[in-house]
Amino acid sequence: MDLPFALAFVLLLTSCYAIDEDFSEELLLRPLPDGNVLAHFHFASTLPPVDHYGVHHRLFPKAIFQLVRKFRIKEMELSFTQGRWNYQRWGVGDPIAQLAAKPVGVELTASLDVPEAEVDSTWGNLTHALSGLFCASINFLESPTTFLEPWFSWRPEANWTGGGGAFDAPGVKRVVKGKKWSKSSRTRYGALPREAVCTENLTPWLKLLPCRDKAGLTTLLDRPTIYSGMYHSQRLIITSGDFDRDEEGTTLEQTLTVVLRKPAVSEGLSSKLQDWTLSGLFGSKLEGKCPLATTSSVYLELEESLAKHLAGDLSKETRINFVDNRVFSLSSAPSRVLASLSGSLLLEYEAGTHSELDLGVTWRAPVDWSPARGRFYTSRYLAGSGNARGSIVISFRANDGPSGDCYSPGIEAVEYVDIMILQMIPWYVRLYGHTLQVSLDGRNVEFWSVVRLMRFTPAEDRKAPAAVEIALRVSIATQAVTLTIQYDKGFLHIDEHPPDANRGFDLPSAVITFPRCRVFKQFQSDDVGHSHILAVVQVVDCFVFPSPSFVFALLLQSQRPMQIYSEVSLMQLATPDFSMPYNVITLTCTVLALYFGSLLNALRRRIGEEERESKEGKKAGLLSQKLKWLRNEKHMRVIKVILVVIIGVAVNHYLSSS
Amino acid sequence: MAPLLLLLPLLLLISSIAPSAMAAPAHTSNWAVLVCTSRYWFNYRHMANTLSIYHTVKRLGIPDDHILLMLADDMACNARNSRPAQVFNNEDHKLNLYGENVEVDYRGYEVTVDNFLRVLTGRHDPAVPRSKRLLSDESSNVLLYMTGHGGDQFIKFQDAEEIQSHDLADAIQQMHQKGRYREILFMVDTCQASTLYSQVYSPGVLAASSSKKGENSYSHHLDMDVGVSVIDRFTYYTLQFLEGVRTDSAATLESLFRVYDPRLLMSNASFRDDLFRRKLDEVRVTEFFGSVMDVKHTPSGYSGFTGDPTRRSDRRRSEGEAKPRREEREATAAAAAAASELEVGAGDEGDWVLGVSCLLIGVTTVLWHKALRTD
Repeated sequence: MDLPFALAFVLLLTSCYAIDEDFSEELLLRPLPDGNVLAHFHFASTLPPVDHYGVHHRLFPKAIFQLVRKFRIKEMELSFTQGRWNYQRWGVGDPIAQLAAKPVGVELTASLDVPEAEVDSTWGNLTHALSGLFCASINFLESPTTFLEPWFSWRPEANWTGGGGAFDAPGVKRVVKGKKWSKSSRTRYGALPREAVCTENLTPWLKLLPCRDKAGLTTLLDRPTIYSGMYHSQRLIITSGDFDRDEEGTTLEQTLTVVLRKPAVSEGLSSKLQDWTLSGLFGSKLEGKCPLATTSSVYLELEESLAKHLAGDLSKETRINFVDNRVFSLSSAPSRVLASLSGSLLLEYEAGTHSELDLGVTWRAPVDWSPARGRFYTSRYLAGSGNARGSIVISFRANDGPSGDCYSPGIEAVEYVDIMILQMIPWYVRLYGHTLQVSLDGRNVEFWSVVRLMRFTPAEDRKAPAAVEIALRVSIATQAVTLTIQYDKGFLHIDEHPPDANRGFDLPSAVITFPRCRVFKQFQSDDVGHSHILAVVQVVDCFVFPSPSFVFALLLQSQRPMQIYSEVSLMQLATPDFSMPYNVITLTCTVLALYFGSLLNALRRRIGEEERESKEGKKAGLLSQKLKWLRNEKHMRVIKVILVVIIGVAVNHYLSSS
Repeated sequence: MAPLLLLLPLLLLISSIAPSAMAAPAHTSNWAVLVCTSRYWFNYRHMANTLSIYHTVKRLGIPDDHILLMLADDMACNARNSRPAQVFNNEDHKLNLYGENVEVDYRGYEVTVDNFLRVLTGRHDPAVPRSKRLLSDESSNVLLYMTGHGGDQFIKFQDAEEIQSHDLADAIQQMHQKGRYREILFMVDTCQASTLYSQVYSPGVLAASSSKKGENSYSHHLDMDVGVSVIDRFTYYTLQFLEGVRTDSAATLESLFRVYDPRLLMSNASFRDDLFRRKLDEVRVTEFFGSVMDVKHTPSGYSGFTGDPTRRSDRRRSEGEAKPRREEREATAAAAAAASELEVGAGDEGDWVLGVSCLLIGVTTVLWHKALRTD
């Protein structure tokens, strides 16, 4: 065998079969219809199965590996978010929006492979470890009042799709009371809506990357730029295989989504759309890639409703000129163009090949497009006034416009929509289950005609939050669905209030899942050199373990149920006057001092003696004459007793009334 | 070449410290506990104070895992901050204190008196990660810096609770008993700051504060861009001095304490060195604000890795023998201390007052009952 051939063979082997740690970095940019720009960074590290502990890591962060092993994490998702994802303007029904949209603050979901009895304690230890790792107060999630065990919402797909209808799985009762639905899950879900997110959370997150923020795509991450954006969400997703026979290895995905404000300089044609470049957005150009990354790509995504404008006047035979067409011009030509089946375009740039990449879009004509808004516009709000009671309302209103890449497997004609709601309500909001009401298009309907499945776990004071999971099925023609539940506001102890109690208390977002609506994209390559479907398929053929260079593409193609987070609601509770205890102490002390002072005075004074003394000095005064009868000892004793009783009664009355 | 040049001062420093280390047992590690106790945007300057000290000690070599930074609120990414992810301590905006690399160990609601005392005394929940613990030992120098709103004998945490000087003194005493420090430099920038350490009674504590009892501490200047005051006077002049300090500087604490001019501070900075064993003109600033990385060499390797079970059991036995003797000694010492305390207690004025008042209350009750009976 001659040497070059052998070398080539070895290279082929290593490229295809070598099981090694891998790292990839990708950035997706998408112009948003309101003129802002979405930047989605995606970093993936994979660790092949290891047979022993303490293995040397080349790329995979050891801190994460230790975390996975110590707490036996099967799946974990941790997100830090600042700002609110605007579903109406930025879309909901596409994979990137699904990845990007997270509730404000910190959200943690973890599936732990530990015995059932240990799940809660392991969760507690995990939150402490994460709080140390990411400089955040995640350890507040240790308290059982802040997390819950979801019964339906994070179930594997099988539970939803059985028998064509999501909730008609055999053996499932419609109402679940007290007893658990099935074998309990080892998943926990917790959220801290009030948690601040800033540089100190991003820095340890970046330190998990092999190139940190020194080379590659991360060099774009200028802190002031990111945090002055409209929305910012940073995530950490860990998936690992079976712990007993580790065959899948461990995958770490780190994503960072930023919605950057449209550039202030107005040079574009439309007042809405502004031209932008990478250097204009981030303050620096992209210079090279992270040398340790197998893939380092930048994508420019054009949503299908925008891509239609390109294809509008061009016949199918003519290749669309992406660099310069009637809608926009690009500063550099993409190395590859991918088109999804639904019509959206993905322009790929290799970061390594360009010595300096400064991708930019210049708009030529005013275009207007709408994002994939999903079927329903969802919002949650608090109704009622005062500090005593109110109601929580979740409303769904039908959207117009494209509903997105929504696909319901196994169903040809979509006649109804399934909605799954998960709400975690703190214990001090006392829900009244019997007031739960559903109305369709403004008319109240019989509850069980719409609700297919419900779990209602009432709160325990200072021990557990209320957990409500409701599965609805409504007809496709429904324009509005409203759920209402009434509550009373509880009272907190004075030491249970946070320092800024007058600001109000945040109710965590409701998680709304559309289980029959799978969001995914399927890409086909449009390039001459790549006439076949994306390399994903090839990779799966020759590689058991998916290479992370394609994790991103896989992720876009993965079918996940559409999920929406409602707004975080701010609730005012009856907050006490915190200086009240001091007032009480001061007043009580005054009364006591008066009591003891006068008592001592009455007991110690000898009026007879005083009178004698004054008599010796001068003639008896008027006062002493009037008090003459007090000289009698019997009278004196009566007076003393009356005085003591009066004061005692007064103190007793005061104490019992206060 | 450039890295070598940078290392040169460090080498010089090490070589210059070495002889003095032999003269007096020097510390082997440096720790810093930096606390901003104030919440709300208008207290921006307290966070800037703390971050300025954080920035300085990091520059002078204390690594992040030896710094416990407690910030009671989020100022950098506060909605009111017109410059997100940036904190400035000067209106010239030359230095972004929040930078690229800041590790906040306790923040927001976590900054409580409870957690602060836990950090000092080391009494944590077992799950608390190492990064949130003060893992100092009896040869560590600890810089304890606090800023916020305070008053006579207390400092407020988050405008919701207070820590009193007595509790702080007891916590430091507990640190002393547990061997958690060798020397402490305690700096406070708050109103009536000197009262906060007036109760401290543990050896090796040096304290400095921005103001005396009855005095206010003032902010230095207002930043029109940020909209609030950005730094306090005491910290401002401390930093002005520390800016000239490098890892190899020979500047002493004496010279630092001399820079506080009451006319500039608008308050009298005060110090307490009666518990401190050394003279201030012998103590370098870098002994508290800088870091020493002293590696100890042992003549033989650590035996714990040899895996010889007999040796390990020997050691345990010898430890077991040593223990009772130590306990005995401690018990006798405790008894002696208790006896002396009793003697002192008998002549104490406070106890006399308490006794008399108890007696009075007793007499009152008896009289009351008697009177009611006769009636």
